[in-house]
Formats: sequence, structure tokens, C-alpha cells
Amino acid sequence: MPVPKNLSSVLKSVTKPGRYTGGEFNSIIKNKETVKCRFAFCFPDTYEIGMSNLGVRILYDVLNKDEDVWCERVYAPWTDMRDKMREYSIPLSAIESGDPLGEFDLVGISLQYELCYTTALAMLGLANIPLWSKDRSEDAPIIIGGGPCAYNPEPVADFFDLFNIGEGEEVLLEISHLYIKMKEEGTYSRSAFLREASHIEGVYVPSLYRAEYNSDGTLKEYEPIYFDVPRTVKKRIIADLDKAPYPEKLVMPYTETVHDRIVLEVYRGCIRGCRFCQAGMVYRPIREKSPEVLCKAAKCLYESTGYDEISLISLSISDYSRLPELTDSLLEWTDEKRVSLSLPSLRVDSFSEELMKKVSSVRTAGLTFAPEAGTQRMRDVINKNVTEEDLLRSVRIAFRGGKSNIKLYFMDGLPTETLDDIKGIADLAKLVVNEYFAIPKPERPHGIGVTISVSCFIPKPFTPFQWEKQDSFSLLEQKQAHLRSCITDKRIKYNYHDAKTSFIEAVLARGDRRVAPVIAYMVKNGAMLDAWDEGFDFDKWMDAFEKCGVDPAFYTTRGFATDEVLPWDIIDCGVTKKYLLSEREKAYRGVTTPSCAEHCNGCGANKLGGNNKWCK
Amino acid sequence: MVQISNNPAYSVLRIKFKKLGDLQYISHLDLVRTMHKIIVRAGLPLWYTEGFNPKPKMVFAAPLSIGAESVCEFMDLRVTERIDPDEAKRRLNENMTSEMQVVDAYYPDVKITELAFLSYEISIKTNGLNEALLEKCRAALDADTIKVVKKTKSGDAEVDIKPLIRSAQIRTSGGEMVIDCTLSADPSSFLNPEYVVKYLKDNVGILSDPIITNEWYSILRTAAFKADMTEFR
Repeated sequence: MPVPKNLSSVLKSVTKPGRYTGGEFNSIIKNKETVKCRFAFCFPDTYEIGMSNLGVRILYDVLNKDEDVWCERVYAPWTDMRDKMREYSIPLSAIESGDPLGEFDLVGISLQYELCYTTALAMLGLANIPLWSKDRSEDAPIIIGGGPCAYNPEPVADFFDLFNIGEGEEVLLEISHLYIKMKEEGTYSRSAFLREASHIEGVYVPSLYRAEYNSDGTLKEYEPIYFDVPRTVKKRIIADLDKAPYPEKLVMPYTETVHDRIVLEVYRGCIRGCRFCQAGMVYRPIREKSPEVLCKAAKCLYESTGYDEISLISLSISDYSRLPELTDSLLEWTDEKRVSLSLPSLRVDSFSEELMKKVSSVRTAGLTFAPEAGTQRMRDVINKNVTEEDLLRSVRIAFRGGKSNIKLYFMDGLPTETLDDIKGIADLAKLVVNEYFAIPKPERPHGIGVTISVSCFIPKPFTPFQWEKQDSFSLLEQKQAHLRSCITDKRIKYNYHDAKTSFIEAVLARGDRRVAPVIAYMVKNGAMLDAWDEGFDFDKWMDAFEKCGVDPAFYTTRGFATDEVLPWDIIDCGVTKKYLLSEREKAYRGVTTPSCAEHCNGCGANKLGGNNKWCK
Repeated sequence: MVQISNNPAYSVLRIKFKKLGDLQYISHLDLVRTMHKIIVRAGLPLWYTEGFNPKPKMVFAAPLSIGAESVCEFMDLRVTERIDPDEAKRRLNENMTSEMQVVDAYYPDVKITELAFLSYEISIKTNGLNEALLEKCRAALDADTIKVVKKTKSGDAEVDIKPLIRSAQIRTSGGEMVIDCTLSADPSSFLNPEYVVKYLKDNVGILSDPIITNEWYSILRTAAFKADMTEFR
């Protein structure tokens, strides 16, 4: 849409104005007078981040394939643009039409990480839409939340009119169709629509439940306020991914975005059962796509986009049961077209020279592996199921293949962790360095760099560790300092996540509805873009907890009792609590659980259906 | 006909295109990236550089800065076969949006470096536009020297841009002041039209409203010339 002339002065005064103006090739323009439902898909981060998100790409395509629906995109402005918008009362608008968010029928917000909550709400504020769902008028848009954070929607439940729990391809269309139907029949009112929507499987309408608390502050129960509202909301999945729609075209950004390439989603779910990993539990059951479908999609996307890189993604790509078949058929044409393949996540137990050669791109000098913990004891506790030898074998292949930079991901603050486990991280990195020097000089690349990147463990909902205490940030900082003191080799670079940020993330990940006023307070006081260093202010968060009378330790360092009602008990993600408890108990004994490919462990996700060869 | 390329491996195909509307906010670097994908989508027989990391060769004349539109951008492409220029134009346009379209494609007679002058239409909506203000602006541009502070690699430097302005006339149109000017486009003495606006802003006081949405200006590149002021193509 052409920017009005008087806004040109604003655009010329901000950084990277091209991210606000749209007009991209393959973006979808429809006639707003003839469509029956206008859907604004908001990504609560910048354009560069949001444009790369696969979920947005898929759902934009799915919604726009319906001729009655026009789905547009909305991103968060960077701070300079946000300030100008506030100064000149410019409302937040959709990229395609330029129409303010408030004029839409449905507004979907993708919640990808907890620290985007303030951005999501600040975006509503910039669009002059009331933050609390109870304050919204009859003609305000219906605000829909979704994405991975919606598995514990409670801290933001009171801001959203409804949540899409699980995969959105079908649910969002059903919500849109219900909206259109009720508008056409003349039966639409905000409350009638929400009540009706609560009957759609995978839809959670927070205002239809009352949360009760015990005198000690723990949750007592969730009570639906009408008999026809389900007691728990079951996650939706797409049963057959080969038959699910996948975009044939991508909106082509003019400006550079973080993952500016074709992304092929190879499968959903994960056969591993890492006990810290939320994605590995909530995306179950595993469902693979066939190489035939994937190759066809890749070729089609290459022709419609002109990208020179295809990234194969999934939670653990080397676990794809037909990976050699897939890479071979892609390589039949990608080399000739100068298209490179990339794999974001590699497991050390299935990494091979052959795989590295297939994906070796001249542009990358490095490889990334995720041992997650420094000692075998700790890796058994978290059920990582990789050994030191797996890692050393993998880096040996990498070094011999000319890769000189190895990046290793770890976590600290894991349950049962001791200072010996922390030291193990440094020891393991040192072994990697030694592995390099064990290779004769002519056979190894020139120079070596090992980077260890350590994040702080957050006990996430729907994992076997969901009841665990989080280490206090001062303890985490001590552990970080200890690790620093254990690293003696200059070739090892050490990065770590800010423990205070992880503390706030944990509150937002594990909180209940009583956390909402804290988030609202932050937003009222200007918080936004907390996922960026520029946006995050720990002292302001602590001040907000105090002002709102919320104790963050209640949700973090306290831990939850196993018989306690958990904030996310309202959601059924497939995997049973019984299974999570048994996994927790095995963690304490240091006993591992085999992958789904070895045998079915009976996690409970099979009841959701889905075509795969593993679930029993 | 002048031989543009002596390398038998490729021919140089010149693309003249426009970049209008919201695309003025796309930087040159982003344009280059975008253009690469457009050419791949169009399926043109691109020639790639030899070596470790093969790249297509695209040469742009006088990169346009953010905030300026153009109806005469030039890009030279190396193609491995002499495809029909009209066919190339058609295929490229199918892969571009309406704000960026090829107006001409051809095998050129002159090197892209022969571009010497560019004409611009600068439209300015400023407070207090009247005959007196126009006269002040005319007088400012007619002065013997026009000194502006230019950002260079070695810091800010005061430069006289008068010799780089081949011509400049001021008129009004629809309540806006319009400067029609022809500026040096030679790479060694390229003059960005933003400096003309900035000079008038700093010295005559146009565009000084603290509420920036009250005033605006636009820059449109309109024509390209060789050193002898004949049309560059």
C-alpha cells in the first residue's frame, strides 16, 4: 500500500524503513469490500524475525487459500518507529492494506517465546485495542493467541479472547468460518461467538473458566462457568502432514531477514525424550512427511522464490527415518542450480561424514552440536542419550572435513546438577580441542575455535521436569563463574545466557493468571521487545512484581508439588501426567528411556491420532 | 558498435528499470539481493564468476539512496547466451511487483560508466510557501558557492557542491515547490540530491516544522545523460 505523503517524513527518520512498507513479491492483496473475514496475523517481534517464522508462513498461506478470508501480516515496530508512532498517533497497521489493527475481525498473535508477551500487548496498545479482554467492546477484534507458549496460556489468559492450542492449520479456518457464519446469520455477539468457539477442539476461551486458589496460594481448580464448555482443552494436530497444505509461494522480503531461505518442515514431533525439552513433548506424536512430498515442495518453492538455500528443519533432523533418500533426491538438482542444503540441528550420535558432505556449504566454516550437559551422569538424567565418544567422533569428522569452528550447546541449572557436572562442560570442550590436535597437521583445517554456549535451565510445562525448582539467579551466576574458572584453554570461547532473563522467562512460562497484572504493569510503563537487550530491564520487572504483590519465587525457586494443580492442567497436550512423573522418577535414578524408534514408551500422545509407524 | 565485453563466455545485458513508491525505502544493498532472486525466478541464463564461491555479476549505475524514487535505474547483467531482450524484460516483469518494473532491456553500445549526469525532480511541501520563499531558494542555488557538510570516511568535510550542479530551476506545482535539477553522477563526483534539500533546509529554513508529519519532500530520478548531455542508454 502506498504510504501517505505525510508519513514519508517519519519513514525517512527511522532505521530500516523498508520493513514497514510491504509491497513484497508474493504478498497477498484481496478486495477488502468482498472478503467476509479480515484476519491480522501478528508476530510480536520485528519484521526481520517474524518474516522468517515458518508457522506464520504456513498459516498465512492456509488462511489466504480461503477466498472469504484475507490474512495480513503485522510486526512490531523497532523502538525508534514505536516512539514516532506514539508521538504522531500513528496506529499499528497491517503491512498489506495499511489498515489499523482495530479494523480487523480477528487478530491472531503468535506467542513464540515468553519474553514476547510485553511486545504482543504493546502492539495492542499501539493499535488502541484494550489490553484486557474484558475491556474490549462489541466491535473490537477477537484477539487469538497461539504458538508454543500457548501450552501454558495462563499468565496471559486474561488478555486474550481465545487461544488456539496445538497446530493451527485447521483450527484457525474453523474459527474464521464460525465468525463468518454467525455474522451472516446475525447471531454474532462477542459472548455468543466465544461460547460457540469453545466447542471447537483445540480452542480455549479463558473467560469461560474460573480459577480457584487454596489458602497457601496454590491452584485449587479450574471450573468451566457453563456446562457445555470442556473441562480441559485438547491440543489439535494435523493427522497426515503429507496431505496438509504447505506454501507453494513465500512472501519475498526486500530487506534482509534472519532466516532468508526456503524452509522445509520434514516432520513434527520428536522420537527422543529429552526431559528438559518442551517441544519434544508437546509436538508429539511424531509425524513424518515423505521425501516425495518434500522434494516436490522444495522444487516448487525454489522456482517461486529464487532462494539459493534450503533448510531442512525439524526438532532433530538426523532422526528423520528417510534422510538419505531425501537428501539424495534434493541433491539431484540443487547442486546444478547452485542451491545449498542446510541442517540447523545435528545429533552427535547420528552425524556422519556422508551427511556432512551432502550439506557442506562453502559458506560455513563451522558446525553446531548440542551435548546439553558436561558429564555422562547429567546427560543420563536429562535423557540426552549421547556419549562423549559420540561427540568426539563427530568433531573428528568435522575437523577432517575442513570445519574449524565447533559450537557446543549446554545448559546449566539442571536438576541434580553439581559443580562437577559444570566442570564437565569445560572438560568436554577441552577434549574437543585435543581431538583437533590429535589429527595430523596436513589433514586438519588451519586454526581451531570451540565455542561453548550455556543457557539456563527453565523447568518448562509438559516436561518431566515441570515440577522442578529453578536455581536462583544468584546460584546460576555462581555456576557460570565456576565454569569460567574451569576453562583454561584460550581456544575455548564461553558464552552464557543472562540468568536474570531466564528467571523472568521462568515466571512467564510457569505462571498462572495472577501474573497477568505484572505484565500489564510492565506494558503500561513502556515495556516492549524484552527479548532484545535493548528492551529487557530486570529491575523494572522486579519493581513490577513488588507493585503488583506477586512473588516470582512462588513460580520459580519454589518448585511445584506433584499433587498440586498446575496452571497448565487446563490443557491436554496428549502426553499424560503419569508418563511425565515416571520419567521424572527415572531421571532421579539416572535411568534413560529409549527413543520412540526403539520401542513405544506409552507417553499417551498416540490418543491424538496421527499417521506414524512408531506409536502403539 | 562498441564491444562491451571481450569475454566470449558471456554477453552484457542492460536492464533499465523503475523503482517507485514504497520501494524508495529499500536500500541499495537490499535491492541487489532482491534482484538476484528476481533473475533466478525469471530463469535468465546468468553467468557466474569462476572460483571458490561463484556469484552472478550485476553492476548497478549510481546507486539510489533510501528515500528517492526513479524511472531510470540501470543494471548490467552477464548472461551466458544472447537471449531476446524483450523476452528477458517480459520474464523479469512477471517476477517483480508493480512498483519495480523493467522499462527497457537491450545489449548496450556504451559502458555503464559513461553515465555522467542524472536529472531529478525534487518536490517539497513546506510551510510558508510563497513567492518570497521561492526567490530565496532560487538565490541560494544561484550563489557562487554552495557549501555543505558531507560525511566521508575520514569524518565530516565541508564541500562546495556548486560545480556538481549542472542546472537547477525552481517552480511550484499543486502547493509544492519543485526543483528540477541535473546533477553530476560521475562516481568520483557523485552528488546526492539530498544535499540540495539539506542545503535549502539549513540555509533558507524550509522543512523546519518540529512536527515532522506537517512537511515532506520527495525525490524522483527522471533522466540519465552522458558527458555530452546526450541520453545515456
